[in-house]
This record gives sequence, C-alpha cells and structure tokens, in this order.
Amino acid sequence: MSDFLTLDKLTLGYGATIAVDSLDFAMKPGELVALLGPSGCGKTTTMRAIAGLMTPVSGRIVLDGRDVTRVPANKRGVGLVFQSYALFPHLTVFENVAFGLRLAKVPAQQVKARVDAALASVGLSHLADRQPKALSGGQQQRVALARSIVVEPKLLLLDEPLSNLDARLRLEMRSELSRLQRELGIAMIYVTHDQAEALALADRIIVMREGRIEQAGTPEEIYERPVSAFVANFIGFENCFALKDGKLKGVAAPGFDTGTAKGLAWRPNAVRLGTGAHRGTVAGASYLGQVVEYLLATPLGDIKAEAPAADPRHAIGAEIAFDLPQAGAVVLHRD
Amino acid sequence: MRSAGHLLLALVLVFLIGPFVIICIAGLSGGETLAFPPEGLSLRWVAKVFTVDSFRAAFWLSITLALGSTAVALALGIPAAYALERYNPPGAEVVRNIVTAPIVVPGIIVGLALLRHLVIPLGIPVPVALVIGHTALLIPYAVRVVSGSLVNLRPDIEEAAVMLGASRLQAFFKVVLPNIRAGIMAAFIIGFITSFNQVPVSLFLTGPGVTTLPIDMMFYMEFNYDPSVAALSGLLALMSLGVVMVAEKLLGLSRYV
Amino acid sequence: MFQNRRLGLLLLAPATIFVALGFIVPVLILLSGAFRAEGGWTLGHYLEFFAQPLNREVFLRTFRLGLIVTAVSAVVGYGVAMAVVEAGPKSKGRLVALLVLPLMISPVARTYAWLVILGRTGFVNVFLTDIGLIDSPLRLLFTETAVFIGLIQLFFPLMVLPLISSLENLPRDVIPAARVLGASWPAVFFKVVLPLTKEGLVVGGTLVFVGSLTAYVTPAILGGSKVLMLETLLYQRVSVANDFASAAVIAVILIVMSVATNVLLKRLASVRRSKAEAK
Repeated sequence: MSDFLTLDKLTLGYGATIAVDSLDFAMKPGELVALLGPSGCGKTTTMRAIAGLMTPVSGRIVLDGRDVTRVPANKRGVGLVFQSYALFPHLTVFENVAFGLRLAKVPAQQVKARVDAALASVGLSHLADRQPKALSGGQQQRVALARSIVVEPKLLLLDEPLSNLDARLRLEMRSELSRLQRELGIAMIYVTHDQAEALALADRIIVMREGRIEQAGTPEEIYERPVSAFVANFIGFENCFALKDGKLKGVAAPGFDTGTAKGLAWRPNAVRLGTGAHRGTVAGASYLGQVVEYLLATPLGDIKAEAPAADPRHAIGAEIAFDLPQAGAVVLHRD
Repeated sequence: MRSAGHLLLALVLVFLIGPFVIICIAGLSGGETLAFPPEGLSLRWVAKVFTVDSFRAAFWLSITLALGSTAVALALGIPAAYALERYNPPGAEVVRNIVTAPIVVPGIIVGLALLRHLVIPLGIPVPVALVIGHTALLIPYAVRVVSGSLVNLRPDIEEAAVMLGASRLQAFFKVVLPNIRAGIMAAFIIGFITSFNQVPVSLFLTGPGVTTLPIDMMFYMEFNYDPSVAALSGLLALMSLGVVMVAEKLLGLSRYV
Repeated sequence: MFQNRRLGLLLLAPATIFVALGFIVPVLILLSGAFRAEGGWTLGHYLEFFAQPLNREVFLRTFRLGLIVTAVSAVVGYGVAMAVVEAGPKSKGRLVALLVLPLMISPVARTYAWLVILGRTGFVNVFLTDIGLIDSPLRLLFTETAVFIGLIQLFFPLMVLPLISSLENLPRDVIPAARVLGASWPAVFFKVVLPLTKEGLVVGGTLVFVGSLTAYVTPAILGGSKVLMLETLLYQRVSVANDFASAAVIAVILIVMSVATNVLLKRLASVRRSKAEAK
C-alpha cells in the first residue's frame, strides 16, 4: 500500500521560533494516527499545517499523490474538527452541517439527503432545527463532526475533540469516533495529550516532543517498548530510572549488563518483592482487588510494585528487599 | 436615603428632558413669537417649517451627508477593524492612533483646516469636503464599534468555513458579517445621528446654498424669533428618537454605546 | 490563517490613508500656522494672543467653566448613578435609556430650549414675575450661568454613564462590610466607593471636561458675543477679522488641552492597573 499522506522534512515556525523541526512521517490510507504529546510539542501546529491553515517554513506535504504544500486550505479536501467545535452561531444545526455542501453548489435535494444521513449517523436528527447555543457540549461536538464528514473529506483532522467533555461523555464519544472511522474507512489524524485516548483509538501513535518525533509505532510498541524516558513517563510507565555511570540514577548497580542503554524501566508487576539486592521501606499499600499495589521508599526514589493479593502482605513501615530483574526490564535507549 | 436618591433622579431627568418637552410644546404655539407657555396650540409653525426653502435644502443636504459619510466611514472602518482584530499588522499601534485621532481634534478646527488647506488650494468642492470631514469624524466610532463586535467572535469559525471549502472572502461574507451585523447597524445609526447633528465641523465649510440643517437653524434663529425653529427642533428630535427607538427594539443598541 | 500580516496592512490602508491625508495633514498645516511667521518659526503669535485682555479672559473662562461643569457633574453624577444602580435591573435599563436619549438630540435643539426658558419673556421670568418674586425680568441669557446650564445639560449623561458602569462593578458586599466595621456614610463614600470607582470618574471627567472646553453650539446660542468661549472666539476671529493666526493659536490650545486630558486619563488608569498588579 503506498502512502496516503507524507510529510517530508516539514519545518514550521512562528516568527523567529521553530515549532516543528524537519518532520518526516508517512501515513497509510484508512489509518487512524494519533499525534500525542504535551502542550507545546508541536502536534497542533503540525495538524494545522496539514490542514493548510499554516504555511510551512520548508518541507513538503503530499496528500494522496498530490503535493499540497502550496494548495490553500479550502482546496485540500481535508476536514478539521476544532477543539472548540467552531459551530456557526447564526445558523441552525442543519445549516451548519449543510454549509460545505452549499458552498460546493450541491443541489438542494442532495443536500437534504446527505445532511439528514450525517445527522442520523451521529444521532442528532431530532436537533436539526436547533441553534448551536441551545446544545450541550457533547451535542455540539457531534454537530461539528457531522459537518466535517458530510463533505466526504479524504483526510479528517481532529484537534483534541474530546478534551472539553466530562469523563463519561468522553468514553462514549471515543467509541463513537472509532465506530465512525471504521464505517467510513476515512483516514484520521487525532491530536491529543491524553495517552489513554491515543492507546485506545489509534492504529499508530506518533509521540512528539519539542517539535520532533520522539517515537512512532503501534500502541503496543509505544506502551510496551518506550524508547526513552520521556515516552515512558508520558505513557505512564512507572519506575523509570536514568543510568549514570552504569548505575541506576548513579546510586545502585542494576546487576546486569546494560549495554548502551540510557535508562531502564520496570512495570509495577515486574518488581519482585521479598528478595533481591535492593532495599527499601514500605510507605503505602493499596488493595486493588486482584493485586495489592505497594509504594516503596528507596534510595532510588519512590517505586511502585504490585503483588498478587494472595501473597502475604507487607506491613507499612517494614523494611523490604526487592529485585529489579533483567527479564522485566524495559530498555530506554534515549532520554 | 432611598427617597432622596429618587428625588434627585427625578429632578435630574426633568432637567435633562424637560427642555426638550418645552421646545416641542413651544413649537406647537398658536402665537407669533416664541414663548412658553404658548398662546394656544396650533400646527401652523410645524407646517411653516416645510415651506421654508432653506430648511428643505439644508435637510436634504444633512441627510445625504449623513448617509454618505456613514457609508464611507463603514466601508473604510470595517476592513480596518477586521485587520486590527484578526491580524497583528506591523505598526498596529500607530495605525490605531491615527484612526482614532479625529476624536481628539475639536470639530471647528477640522472644518477650518479642510477649508483652508483642501478646499481653497486644491479646489475640492465644498460638499466633498463636508463628506471628508464628517467621515473622518465617524471613522473612530465605526472602528471601535465594529472591533467590539469582532472581539466577541472567535476566529476559528472563519477557519472552519475555510476548511469546509470557503475562500477567505466567502468566509468573511457568510460567517463573519452575519455575526457582526448588529454591531455594524449600531455603528451606522450612531454615525448617522452624529453626522446629522454635527455643527462645528460643518461651520466653516458651509456657505450660501450649502448649509447643513443644524447650522441653518442657528442662522435662522439669529434673525427670526418665531416658533419655527422650535417646531423644527421638535420634529428633528422626534426623528432622532424614532430612529434610536427602532434600533433599540431591533438590536439592543444600548449594548454598543 | 491570519499569518499574512501584509494582507492586514492592506485592509488597514484605506482608512489610514484617508484619515492621514484628508484629516491629519490639513489639521497639522493649520496648527503649524500658530508657530509660523514670515520666514521662520515663532512664538510671537502666542504672545500677541495672550497680550490681549479679552483673549486671556476667554481662555480663563473656558477653563473655569470646564472645571465647574465637570465638578458639578461629578458630584451630582455620583448621586444619580447610585440611585440608578440601586433601582434594580429592570428600571435601570429604562433609566439609562432616558439618560442617553438627550445625547441623540441635536445640540441646537437642546440648547435652543433654554432660550425659551431663560429669555426675557421666557418661562422662568414669567413664572417669577407671576408669583411676585421679581418686578422686572432678569437678564438670564448671554451670561456665564446660562452657558453653564446649557453645558451641564449637554454633558451630564457623559459623566453618569461611566459612573454607573463603575458602580456596577463594585464587589457586592463592600459597602455593607464597611458599615459593619463602623464607617459613617461619608467615610463609606470617600474611603470605599470613590477609590473603587475612580476609573469611571476619570473617564466621565475627561469626556465632560474636554467636551466643555471644545463646545461650540451651546456657548454660541446661550453666550453669544457677550460670553465668548474659545471656540466661539475662534469662529469670530476668522469670520469677522480673517485672523487666522489667532485661530491657529486657539486651535493649538484646544488640542493641547484635549490631548493632555486624554493622556492624563491613560496615565491615571494604567498607574492604578500596575499598582494592582504589583500587589
């Protein structure tokens, strides 16, 4: 399958500041790619450049075989769902969704048919005559979505579309989006700072940091094999330690050869309690049903460990030995 | 305390509005000279107003001047307001100061300056100079009111329109304009009334045959002591009020003042 | 999407060029006439202007009336503004409309009414004679008092509206809090209300002061040539004597006073803001 979207050494900046530095990235048709990273990492900027709302300093954007770097935003066939939804306040829901179709001079009957279908697919047919200000956040979000997909874009960009919704709604909408994407088979780029969302939705995740790609891969690859402490921390990997002079945090020897690694990380369930070369004190214990989560205070800092609930409990305040075995170690090649 | 406040309020309102009421009544006088209370009531002076040639001519001049200068002020001011709010053009501060400068200069100076340095040396016709003077006076209001509307309009709806296929111009007309329409109308009405009632700017620029209505009224007053001016004042005041009340009903004008 | 700053400049250009060429340039040329004489720059025109007692009198009178109108507006304005704010939201809308209404009526019409009221056979004189308070009519027109009354009626709403705005932004229970702490009503006003509404007072004061300084219609109708103010003096000098030098001098004085007051306003407002930020 040839690439659907290619970013070729894309450099973006505001005035004198470079926000995105020589980005290279390719996307397959029908993929859902998540751009994940903290604020300021350049994910939104990259998205806006793909949309055409921002002119690159240098580099190319190739969409579906066509170099669109110089093509204006309204002619790229790219859709964008804004974080704030950006519904037109002076138009009804129906007219909002019909906007793009009317611009394209689609005949009135077809407009009605397609808008009705789009509203039905997001479950808002009953609200067609409402004003945007009368809608809840979740409803506005769905109108924004319908408005973008009704014009059948080749590529759909979503800028943190769920961040303004409450937790429960967010989960609901997440599955909606997933379903919609699979049904329509449309390529999507999803910008978010929420790693849970990215892991749940994406076919591939691009983790960005300070204008560059830190790691790109499937959710499994990102989750299980983060390449750097940054990604590990971002994904919520506990127990990350930088290696200094071959020692974890310069303090304790890992007990095995670490090669050229810059850091090591262990999942809480990879930490062995009761035996081992390391020492610490039990600072907290939380019963989570299947497992008990322990917080250990150690010379390496706080360590989270998990043990099956069936195992004998360790008392708070007790001194404990623990092992960070090579088998469970995730090697971080960069920081 | 409360009743003292109410009393004060009542007195002040009487002071502010009473004279206007008095002038309306004086204009309905049946007598020969201007007096209050009038000797009997009659519409003869109201009718007389329509027969005075200079009033008629001045009225039309004032109306066309007001419409013309407000239209030009908006035509110049709307893009300027848009540019100031949406872009951060280089030199924005300087431009803002230039565009609001007319507010700081007393009107009479403007009229004199235009007469001496535009009309006389360059041969620009007086009505054109009047339009220039009035437009310059109105541009700051136009920019300010339209800016006010634009501030409350998120820029991302324009981006959304563009993403859906609109050109920048289409986005402006289909998405921005409908949402600032009320502000534009408010600016239009404020501009119209300001121009219509304006005296100092027009003072030096008017002459025989080319007079605005307020100035014509002032000249008439100097030599005639009949109630026509009172009647005319009453009519004009009612016209202004009518315009403003309609605007308030339709737009909630008070939000933009 | 709004990165193209040059497009922004293009949109700004028409308005800017219009104001620059059609307004600023002619006005500057006029003003420069106050400083120029045969062959060079001079302050002589100013000296000549202020050498004449009439001119000095007019200058001082304009300034004095401006201050008095502003002061009276401020005092009465606070009373009215507080009454309006206490009247509750429904009445407030209607009251504000009533206060704004006069602004929409031509100054000629508004001032003309005073001719009827203050004239020799006018309302006031007839009334006072009828009730026996006076024997012969008072000369009320073409006095400073008449001009003062006209100006106050014209500009009072411009003071009240910003005050209402400021008063509404007072934190809710500030006045009851002060009372509970033992403050008398004057103390409440001077120590709590006044400092917190200073911005409104400054805005209103500037509008009224500058308006009064640069008023034409009211002094022309109610003061005539007996009570000249700077603008009516200017008109007279030009139309009667073609004295453009004096006109330019007066113009400069008016603009300087106008700009100075506006600058002072900005300075006062930002001083307060930076003090607040420093806290």
